[in-house]
Amino acid sequence: MAAAIRPMRLAALTRSRCSIFQTAYNPTSARTGAKYLRARLRGPSMVKYYTPEANIAQIMRQWPELEMRNFAEEERLQDVEDKKKRGKGAPKKAKEKGDSRRASRRR
Amino acid sequence: MPNARVLRDIKARNIVKANEVLRRAYLYVARNETLSPQVRHQAQLQLNTFGKYTRPTTVKNRCAESGRGRGIISEFALCRYQFRLKALKLELPGVRKASW
Repeated sequence: MAAAIRPMRLAALTRSRCSIFQTAYNPTSARTGAKYLRARLRGPSMVKYYTPEANIAQIMRQWPELEMRNFAEEERLQDVEDKKKRGKGAPKKAKEKGDSRRASRRR
Repeated sequence: MPNARVLRDIKARNIVKANEVLRRAYLYVARNETLSPQVRHQAQLQLNTFGKYTRPTTVKNRCAESGRGRGIISEFALCRYQFRLKALKLELPGVRKASW
């Protein structure tokens, strides 16, 4: 073998090369966990997957000067009023455990 | 109103994004073989206390229309059937029927 270079000199070469190019010096390839720090963050791209939906209620709250009307909500409230007139409104909330319809039905 | 599973997924994504840096830091300590085993074990125990929505594996691409978990085309966030419906109505920009 012609001119076998001593391993110490090779190690010194690697060390100086790492200091020049500012890379990490890891001759034994020990696991430092640096890969978890080096990898790019995935959070922002994950959050962008779903497009945010336009929320009319939110826009109405943020800009009341626009005087927008939420037609779906108005229709829902109108339906609730109609049901009440027909006598089909929501039942009263049970105050105690025995008052509810389910408890009385079981008996 | 999007699907309930989609809402859960949105919640998971937001929590993952909020905790990502912290998680990475703990992972670095727990996986670093040059540190003492006591320190690494402590870091691993701390990692175990994190809630389930902090883990990026809980995030799953879902169809934004139907909430389906399988057959998703990520570029459009749609499952294959919803993709087909929208594409045929020409609601997806640049998508047309292939023929060559």
